[in-house]
Amino acid sequence: MVGQASRAVGAQPRPWSVRTAALGTGLALSGLDRTCTTSDRTRLPALIARLNDAAKSKVLTFQEYFVLAGKSIRFIFARPFYAQDVVQQMDEIGVKSLGIVLLTGLFTGMVLALQSSVQLKTFGATMYIGNLVAASMIRELGPVLAGLMVAGRVGSGIAAQLGSMRVTEQIDALNTLGTDPIKKLVTPRVLAALIMLPVLTIINDFIGIIGGNVIASFVVGLPSTQYWRTVWDQIASDGFTLRYIPNDFVQGLSKPFVFGGLIAITACYFGLGTTGGTEGVGQSTTRTVVMTSILILIVDYFITQLLLSLLAYG
Amino acid sequence: MDDRDTPTNVPPGAPPDRPSEVERRREGADDRRVPTGERKSAAVRSAIRSELEGDAAAADAAAPVARERKKAPVVELRHVSLAFERPILEDISLIAHEGETIVLVGESGTGKSTALKLILRLLVPDRGKVLIDGEDITSLSFEEALTVRQKMGMVFQGAALFDSMTVFENVAYPLREHTDLNDDEIEGRVREKLQFVDLDPDRVMEQMPAELSGGMRKRVGIARGMANNPEIMLYDEPTSGLDPLTTGTITRLIMKLQRELGVTSVVVSHDIRSVFRMASKVALLHDQHITFFGTPEEMTASEDTYIRDFLGGL
Repeated sequence: MVGQASRAVGAQPRPWSVRTAALGTGLALSGLDRTCTTSDRTRLPALIARLNDAAKSKVLTFQEYFVLAGKSIRFIFARPFYAQDVVQQMDEIGVKSLGIVLLTGLFTGMVLALQSSVQLKTFGATMYIGNLVAASMIRELGPVLAGLMVAGRVGSGIAAQLGSMRVTEQIDALNTLGTDPIKKLVTPRVLAALIMLPVLTIINDFIGIIGGNVIASFVVGLPSTQYWRTVWDQIASDGFTLRYIPNDFVQGLSKPFVFGGLIAITACYFGLGTTGGTEGVGQSTTRTVVMTSILILIVDYFITQLLLSLLAYG
Repeated sequence: MDDRDTPTNVPPGAPPDRPSEVERRREGADDRRVPTGERKSAAVRSAIRSELEGDAAAADAAAPVARERKKAPVVELRHVSLAFERPILEDISLIAHEGETIVLVGESGTGKSTALKLILRLLVPDRGKVLIDGEDITSLSFEEALTVRQKMGMVFQGAALFDSMTVFENVAYPLREHTDLNDDEIEGRVREKLQFVDLDPDRVMEQMPAELSGGMRKRVGIARGMANNPEIMLYDEPTSGLDPLTTGTITRLIMKLQRELGVTSVVVSHDIRSVFRMASKVALLHDQHITFFGTPEEMTASEDTYIRDFLGGL
């Protein structure tokens, strides 16, 4: 990637352009036109030159990431539309992730109810299990866990697929056949993830709350009607946006939307930037899963912070 | 089989050896080119038509234009230099006129494939110009480059077939992307191209690339490259990793393409025997430079020790 190219240039001080190197490694198939010539490097002391390279390559990485993100989203609204690819990706990202999301949701809801029952029993407040499960699932655990699961399953899949397409020259072939690989490969995946992650999250939330219901009924002995009433009480007590939309839903659905984009774009970024044959594909896949998981947790914090200050809670 | 009828050996205007076949191809090529437009000037089209209809007078009138086009440089590299970690190409100049087959030879890692990527504008040179049909493509935007690439068909070393698509979908891909042909017309064209590369359409169309042998994959790659009737064909080591018989088949195919459809070809090859059969001119890359550029006869007659060593076995 850019980093490698820059390091190598440090060893061979000669005028050249970063643009060419990036194009060579395929990242700039986004058609970036950057001309950061590094010809002045020869006059700099070695250490500063190295720092200079490192800083530039970091900045370039960010730039490329955001250009990729911008282009892939812009292409959603530009012809030609690859509707068939979008549907196929929705199946891949959404339908095929259903199993793991159902399992994650069910057991998360169950363990939440179990843990909170122990804690609430000391206050004699086990009838509030529903409140706890609903608030945690809808606001946090539903979106984050669905995101992490999809990052692991779909993110790695996308990175591996695009990575192997890159190393077997299929990306070059697309380019050669006059197709923008971002439009053909990235945009359908991003669009599918933007649509499917909120859907998966709703399913995850719902099954989680049902899991809580199972534990509340069979372990704690709380009637189902009581449980569901407290679930609704919790949702209603957090206030509404535009009068009818519960704030918890706004928070719980804006997160997966962002996570969906994050997963697809990051996976595509690492996939398309793959170098070094099959080993490189493995590295891209690992990097994708690590990076998306971390990003999901970090971004989650900031979205929560933002929404808590924007929405009128309580 | 020694059919060395490269364009240099065929006097301009000489009757084709298999008129009916040529006629069929040319007619097909001609009316296919009309919708995409402007490929051949009206004068050239009328020349071809009148030639076919035996209208000698009209052919004579249009002949000078045709001859003039015949000499036109189609692919040209002018003083091109490119470096990544190390210099790869330095001050390379190359020219391929219409209908010629230029073969790039050289040791591994001398930048032969890089030169092809420069022609496709998958890479941008650090210095120098790349001209396609007289147009400098180095300064084109990414979107403009996609359009220019439609003039070219590329056959990749590993064929680079899209492994998620069937053979039919692979060959149909450029047609679906860039033409308004309906499904029947596309199927007709795919069958025609598969037959051209000596594959049985009924047998292979529904197969996945993974089910094909190396030689068949290469041939499907050629069929896909020529699906859109490009005026330039680029081949990256079309015969590498193939047995001698299949190598012969692929070589004959490249010659057939050049002979019957008059495409300009740039071939990167290691196989000296096939090079000598198909090349109009050979370019030898050594130490980042082109150390020899001339006809195969000139090459065999050369006294240069490196060239003698390179041809070694012959």
